[in-house]
Amino acid sequence: MSDTTQSQDGYDTNGEQPDGNTPASDGTADEEINVRIDDLTKVYDEDGGSGVVAVEDLSIDIRRGEFLVFVGPSGCGKTTTLRTVAGLETPTEGRIWIEDEDVSDLEPRDRGVAMVFQNYALYPHMTVRENLSFPLRIRNYPSDETEERVEYTAGLLEISELLDRKPSALSGGQQQRVALGRAIVRKPSVFLMDEPLSNLDAKLRVQMRTELNEIHKRVEKTTIYVTHDQAEAMTLGDRVAVLNEGRLQQLGPPQRLYDEPVNRFVAGFIGEPPMNFMPTDVVATDGGYEARSDHFGIELTDDLAAAVDDWGGDLDALTLGIRPEDINDARLTGDSTTSANTIEAYVRLIEPMGSDKFLTVSPTAEGNHEFTARVSPDSEIREDEFTSLSVTRSKMHLFDDETGRNISI
Amino acid sequence: MSVEDSYEWLDYRTRQRFWDVVEGPMVVHLVLAVSVFIVLAPILWEVLTSLKTDEAVYNLRVIPQNPTFSSYYNVLIEQDYWRAMVNSIIISTTTTTIVLTLAVPAGYAFSRFRFPFDTALFIGVLFSRLFPPIGLIIPYYRIMSSLNLLNTLPGVIIAQVYLWLPLMVYIMRNFFISIPQELDESARVDGCTHLQAFRHVVLPLARPGLAACGILTFLYSWREFLFSLIVTRTLAAQPISVAVYRFVGDVSVAWASLAAACVLAIIPTVLVVLTFQRYIVSGLTAGALKQ
Repeated sequence: MSDTTQSQDGYDTNGEQPDGNTPASDGTADEEINVRIDDLTKVYDEDGGSGVVAVEDLSIDIRRGEFLVFVGPSGCGKTTTLRTVAGLETPTEGRIWIEDEDVSDLEPRDRGVAMVFQNYALYPHMTVRENLSFPLRIRNYPSDETEERVEYTAGLLEISELLDRKPSALSGGQQQRVALGRAIVRKPSVFLMDEPLSNLDAKLRVQMRTELNEIHKRVEKTTIYVTHDQAEAMTLGDRVAVLNEGRLQQLGPPQRLYDEPVNRFVAGFIGEPPMNFMPTDVVATDGGYEARSDHFGIELTDDLAAAVDDWGGDLDALTLGIRPEDINDARLTGDSTTSANTIEAYVRLIEPMGSDKFLTVSPTAEGNHEFTARVSPDSEIREDEFTSLSVTRSKMHLFDDETGRNISI
Repeated sequence: MSVEDSYEWLDYRTRQRFWDVVEGPMVVHLVLAVSVFIVLAPILWEVLTSLKTDEAVYNLRVIPQNPTFSSYYNVLIEQDYWRAMVNSIIISTTTTTIVLTLAVPAGYAFSRFRFPFDTALFIGVLFSRLFPPIGLIIPYYRIMSSLNLLNTLPGVIIAQVYLWLPLMVYIMRNFFISIPQELDESARVDGCTHLQAFRHVVLPLARPGLAACGILTFLYSWREFLFSLIVTRTLAAQPISVAVYRFVGDVSVAWASLAAACVLAIIPTVLVVLTFQRYIVSGLTAGALKQ
């Protein structure tokens, strides 16, 4: 990714929020830094000689009590970052600070962190009770306090009746709770979670996601959470850090990532179904600009036109981005439908979801440049017909083809 | 229904019945019985022969006419064979202890840590077993000779450790690999040092592998012949496997005594296998378990 992209996230990391509509960050008024990842680079040595760069120049300050989510495709460096914070990997360059202490050279046990692993890593030869008490026993806590904390944690997670079972006798969801409990029982300074929900089935995952949110509200501990699932990132994170190829793409509250993605990668990664990218030429018209393809033209809003002016690059080298929900059935949008924001498209497929209908459409009947629209279930659009769709012009994005940067924010 | 159809139908039923019989319990038991007989027949012959006198061996009756334990008395006491048994027990238990003490940490290190030349070292360990051990007999003899360890128990034990350690390092490494690394990592985050994580989490889970390795080492060193033959000369250090050879003379074989000695040699191994057989099975299936 480009340097311009990197500079975009600068303002997010220092805690200043340039715009006011970020409720999550307002919630964490306490600006005290709990974990500081300082210029972290991790290179894995290969037998051949040249190393593989897993993480590059990553700097993030994580506030006390914050729920920070690292999200990205596999191999983006999110798990490596988490393991480096845990002390299971040594940084090639950079430092890790926890509670104002440089912990880069400390063993995992001395860092005050607790970790939940993807496969839970419950000790199979110990009962649930022994699993929960293990972190306390190994630290020589008095037995009455150990017992008290285990009982409290088991109550919190509603696993009290499972205490004398072995992990193999538990369901996936129960194992998940025990793994969580083993982290909570220690009252650590920071929770680290590595894809803790990915081994659960879809329904249980959504349920545990809600519970995780509730538990986080109750224990109010700094949590660093790694996932490849953008829905988990959106629902759990106070702030979300999007990583790709070892580099931070954007860091910010989930809604801002959704509304103002700094580049094409973030725009395409956050949101389901993902944002549509349409190759278009931006052409100057009298008094403004129009995004034009072979089959349609959409007038740019004044804000977007100003952004194009500011950008000043080659007008051919832009890609239009529109989220599916910003494309609607023109017959239902009524007065707001004008020739400036309406396109004709051929409907190839309709997937009714109950709350919405997902349309797979393309500008021609042949089906080139397919894109997705998310329309109201009341829409009477039918398959295999041309239809009028109206685009919410204020929600359009323009991306620089060369750097991927979003020039419209 | 035509005649041909009904014929087809009968034929189908007949074929079904044929296969039902073939796959049925009778045939299965027959196959099992034959297999067991093939395995057990020599042992049975040996036990029966050991109950005869040396002269009665030649009358070719299967069942001894006057069963006697005189061969056992002759072998154990008069021929001092008990000393070989004691030697074997000392050699095998000591070898097993040393091999486990070295193979467990070595296998763990190879399974978990990356260090310079780790792959080369591991291949080196295995490489020592890639050529026939007989090629090392003469150097080994010279070394033991210069160390004054010929015809001593340590001389035999060192050879046994050399012979079985590489294999056990390999088995233990594979066993440790089957234990998810997240478990030690989790333990280390939970508050353990490397060593504590190993002791409290990894080692208890590796117990079946440990048992399997121990049993295999015991059995292998119990029956090893070549190196023991070369470095020992008298019953001061000879294990059973070599001492049995004494009953094969230059001019005749003392069949009954030989059989008795062999039966005596088998007894401890049978005891070990019966005691630990469940570990052998779980050791061989290690890795099939989830988590």
